[in-house]
Amino acid sequence: MNEKKSFKAWIQSGKVNRKLCIIVFMLVPVALLLIFTYIPFFKMIGFSFYDMKYIGDREFVGLQNYVEVFTRKDCFQALKLSLYYIVASFIQLALALYFASVLSFKVKGGGVFKGLMFFPYLVCGIAVGFIFKFFYTRGFVLDTVLQWCGFNLENLPYWLKDTSINNISVAATSIWRYMGQGMVMFIGAIMSVDASLYEAGDIDGANSFQKFFYIILPNIKTIIVLNMILSITGSLSVFEPPYVITGGDFGTGTYFVIMNKLAHESQKVGLASAMAVVLLGLIMIATLIQKGVEKYYFGVGDQESIREVRKRKKRQELEAKGGAR
Amino acid sequence: MKKSTLKRVFAATVSAAMVMSLAACGGSKKAVEKQEIDLTIDQIKLGEDYTDIEADLKFLTHKTDVIDTTFSEYITEFQKLYPNVNIEYEGITDYANDITTRLTTGDWGDICMVPMTVDKDELENYFTKLGDKAALAGTYEENMLNNYAYQDNVYGIPSMANVQGIVYNKKVFEDAGVTELPKTPDDFLDALQAIKDKTDAIPLYTNFAAGWTMTAWDANIDGGATGDPDFANTGLTKGENPFADRGDGTGPYAVYNTLYEAVKRGLTEEDPTTTDWEGSKGMLNAGEIGCMVLGSWSIVQMQQAGDNGDDIGFMAFPITVDGQQYAAAGPDYNYGINCNSSSDNQIAAMCYIKWLVEESGFAQGEGGLSVVSTDEYPEALTALEGIELVVNNPAASGEENLFNDVNNDSELGINVSGAVPTQVVEEAVSGSKTMEDMAAEWNEKWTAAQESNGVEY
Repeated sequence: MNEKKSFKAWIQSGKVNRKLCIIVFMLVPVALLLIFTYIPFFKMIGFSFYDMKYIGDREFVGLQNYVEVFTRKDCFQALKLSLYYIVASFIQLALALYFASVLSFKVKGGGVFKGLMFFPYLVCGIAVGFIFKFFYTRGFVLDTVLQWCGFNLENLPYWLKDTSINNISVAATSIWRYMGQGMVMFIGAIMSVDASLYEAGDIDGANSFQKFFYIILPNIKTIIVLNMILSITGSLSVFEPPYVITGGDFGTGTYFVIMNKLAHESQKVGLASAMAVVLLGLIMIATLIQKGVEKYYFGVGDQESIREVRKRKKRQELEAKGGAR
Repeated sequence: MKKSTLKRVFAATVSAAMVMSLAACGGSKKAVEKQEIDLTIDQIKLGEDYTDIEADLKFLTHKTDVIDTTFSEYITEFQKLYPNVNIEYEGITDYANDITTRLTTGDWGDICMVPMTVDKDELENYFTKLGDKAALAGTYEENMLNNYAYQDNVYGIPSMANVQGIVYNKKVFEDAGVTELPKTPDDFLDALQAIKDKTDAIPLYTNFAAGWTMTAWDANIDGGATGDPDFANTGLTKGENPFADRGDGTGPYAVYNTLYEAVKRGLTEEDPTTTDWEGSKGMLNAGEIGCMVLGSWSIVQMQQAGDNGDDIGFMAFPITVDGQQYAAAGPDYNYGINCNSSSDNQIAAMCYIKWLVEESGFAQGEGGLSVVSTDEYPEALTALEGIELVVNNPAASGEENLFNDVNNDSELGINVSGAVPTQVVEEAVSGSKTMEDMAAEWNEKWTAAQESNGVEY
């Protein structure tokens, strides 16, 4: 009895109790994270050093898969398609920012518009693919609408077949899908801007454009940069739209679609794993570059940008020198 | 205070239990062990042996559309003979992709349709041996057992067999004035041109967007295009430059060139990227499509897709070798039994497979050929009179995996991905490569893959 009490007391004592709580609460999420993210990830890195199929023997081949990724034509060719998606993501961010700054203020039916524009994000990617497959079919939705506007069906291109335009068609679907999500994030950021700044702007006679450029933009800088990073890394790993809409045919196969084909159709699991690791490296490099540029030109959060700091230092140095003379 | 400690203890126990059960998941793989049974499928007498066996079977199938109809009738029928065997079907929509991953766990169920991704020397690690080939050859067509046989042990029995060729609308061909079925690629293209000129139908529908439908072209390149049951082994797997133009309108080149020319001459649908597989069935039935290259399994689906079932016909691929037309025939998905299941389950599964193949009438209902030697041709295939069916011979022992290896390494995906016919359509549309360029490219990839797998001519 005595012993039990002391155990109880021990376990309830502040320090132990706190640690126990932390450990117990962390156990489940950490276990889930390990099992579903990190173990598969490290397994995949392991796979990338083997010549293997899903079923059957594996053979260790060292870095040969990586050599193949860099010497194959189709892998890096596919990365060029990311440019379409990067351009699309910038258009998407610009539109999102535009609608967000309009809808953050009192607009008639603002709630309805917000809802309508956010809705596509809730539709699952595969369904979006099917929607747009019919949307682009000859003589279906898009062609009909364009005909209303006076276009002749004979002069319209085949949206998914014509290789000069089909990547744009596919990339446009991601604008439709993700614009609302970006908009909601921007609205949230704009809402958090101190209202007294607008008042001050009003008193100084700032018009709406000036308010946007000198009050809103500097205040939501961080969230814009975050969105840009997310969209560029997302553009490198596009999968759903080309996979569902065109199956990667007619030159729309992105890096991920090619990876999927190699792994599932040609059973080159090791090579596909190596491709995934290479892409991970590329995304990390892209993010680092972006972070660096961001730090240099814009600064992070409340920090000043490195460029500003340097400029000031130089100025100060010059002044000091001038002063010495 | 007390309550909160209780809660904490509870939380800790629950989370510990969860972690333990997850850990158990990881460990359970070792617990599954291969169960050897000493029984082969030819030894079973349906309705006499093992009628009191008790088992709950799980059946993984690609036929998601008939689980609640045809298959549940099968279960009822089967339970009249084996009342204590319960069978549960699980339909997998993306069967070809998912089944491979599930097989690797060892604990997927009792019966499945064996995927093509399992190499022959791996069969014994996943599936129960169903019998010796020689013993089974008495009941079943011997040639049909080759796909999943390794060193004379059979691990899979085909659910049915297919003939490769072209499913077409008889009325459209008649309206276009085509009275005699085309026998050569040129005749075929002329017929398509006539359909285009004289009717409103799309002469040839590629079903390009569905992807898997394109593999139907691959299926015609060996036996059907050469008449040689050994071509798949000696000509394709081990042959030198198999895709080269043979000059006489036969062989793989002729098959793919037919597609190339049809697309190039505008005899196919306008926009291949937006074809619709489900819709195509009704269109063929209604005479809006002239024909499609597909296996005989598609006939029944086409007939049922509308009111004009009688208009649907089936012809062999239009290639004639020395005056004789051939059609490739081969097994469809095979039934296989999990060798890790308990021995009772395996025996019950074997009884069910035997019943499915011999008694259920599944093959006939699907418009396919039964693999039971004594069964007759279904009605839909009577038009194939005078055409010789060619079933590929098995690869020589020791070379069972060679085709798969060369096929995977070359990334041409013959019979798997339809990459070759897909490329043919793309290039015919864009016109950037000629048929000769592509054939040379395929030969190059194929030869490189042959070299890395040690093939010598």
